[in-house]
Amino acid sequence: MAEPTSDSPESPFLPIFETFRKEIDEHHERRERVIKASRDITASSKKIIFTLHRLRTIGQSLPDHIAKANKPYTTDIATKLTLIAPDLQGQNADRYSRQISSGLQEYIEAASFQYYLETGTLLTYATAASNVRDLCTGEAKVKLGYEDYILGLYDFTGEVMKFGITAMATSGTIPISGPGRTLLTDLRALRAGLEGVRFGGSPVAREVDKKAEVMRVSVEKVEKALYGLTVRAGERPKGWMPSDGDGGRGEGVEV
Amino acid sequence: MSVQNAMMESGLFEDLQKKIDEDTQVKDTLREIVQQLEKQGQHTIDQTSARSTRPDRIDSRPRDPSNLVKSTFDAFGRTIENQVQSIQRLAEVASKHPYYRYNYAWTREMQSATFSILYCAYLGGLNTQAGHLLTLSEVTTFMQSTPFPSLLSTLSHPIPLIPLAVPPSAPNTDSFHLTPEEYLQSLISLVDELSRLARNSVTLGDTARPLQISKFIKDVHAGFQVLNLRNDGLRKRSDGVKYRVKEAEDVVYDLSLRGLLPGQGKV
Repeated sequence: MAEPTSDSPESPFLPIFETFRKEIDEHHERRERVIKASRDITASSKKIIFTLHRLRTIGQSLPDHIAKANKPYTTDIATKLTLIAPDLQGQNADRYSRQISSGLQEYIEAASFQYYLETGTLLTYATAASNVRDLCTGEAKVKLGYEDYILGLYDFTGEVMKFGITAMATSGTIPISGPGRTLLTDLRALRAGLEGVRFGGSPVAREVDKKAEVMRVSVEKVEKALYGLTVRAGERPKGWMPSDGDGGRGEGVEV
Repeated sequence: MSVQNAMMESGLFEDLQKKIDEDTQVKDTLREIVQQLEKQGQHTIDQTSARSTRPDRIDSRPRDPSNLVKSTFDAFGRTIENQVQSIQRLAEVASKHPYYRYNYAWTREMQSATFSILYCAYLGGLNTQAGHLLTLSEVTTFMQSTPFPSLLSTLSHPIPLIPLAVPPSAPNTDSFHLTPEEYLQSLISLVDELSRLARNSVTLGDTARPLQISKFIKDVHAGFQVLNLRNDGLRKRSDGVKYRVKEAEDVVYDLSLRGLLPGQGKV
């Protein structure tokens, strides 16, 4: 009678676990699809940004060669968003928001950068959200959370900085973005706006803090570069190019 | 609009701040309820550990968990009842919002409350037979059951398991529910606690319980084998179940070696 390890061949709890199995499997499949798509969207967005950095001016519609170069990447983003849109419906929108977040952020970075280069103004949340919606060609649409929009804007300030530094290094002036505005005044306005947004104790707050620090450094880099231009402006004529061995230009400008 | 701000639409960031503030308000409301649940949960945990460690709190007669000293059991039931009330308050507030948006705020406390309920039921409380594992929908039903007089004519402790007309919230809706992951996490907590109870009941002279526990843990372990878990929190914790299987078996082994199991002649 003493059979201490009496194994019943079948656990009576199996039915309980069987009910979870399908749901857990589906959950993992959805989650992985979203993660993969997010990575692809990030990669394509980065490539778009890279192409946009070939531009030197603000406020003009994209030249054909740039638009053409970026077309496949935009198409890729649209495809991926359409693919995972069904996975991000209803309660699943929030369930996998962390998985899609980095992709959407990077897309916002690219989209707002392009928008800024074309118009000299900031892409609004409403427009960004409708862009994301429109990229989904299927019935299901991906919703853009305002957190991802804000986090994307933080990264966008970094692109503006890089663009500004390159433009200043090559043209010797700070890009003008509108009447009475330059890239630096825009960057400062953006900084003031973003710093005014308080997140309190939400999980995004920590991510925001990190990005805020990077943004401050970006603004300062442009300020330093502009300072350099101002100080040395009188010392060299416009269009002056260094002769061989003269490495003096662009001092204090790091990208 | 100042010239400086012509870069952006005025009010752009203010509008975003408004959204954040609305969000914060919901979180604050939820946090208040969750904190209460946390306090109640702590109380329950104190009682469950009292149950498995204090000799005066447990009747050592083997094979009869219903002989757990009644007052302790009643106290256990009452604390769970308080937890359930908090959960119902939480459900009411949380159901107004997208489920997974705030899920992180309460998931830990829901797991701990679920553990208490599973444990109490396993011990034979909550009108269940000792050794019974409540299913997810049974736990849900219990959480939705209400001890309030308007719906129940009488209430005696332990809380009767009376399902309401309301069906358990189906997953895939935004209404508040217990997720399979949360249920399984709680089940692992139960297994951890039971392997402890196996040793402690021997200390208290109950040599039959380890056998029941060993079988129970093995059955749970077999259940987890059915699932394809990926690398996440659940996977990590469920890997520990096999060690609990071994721990409980070790206790049974120790007892059988010394002829201390029920039916082995001694005791």
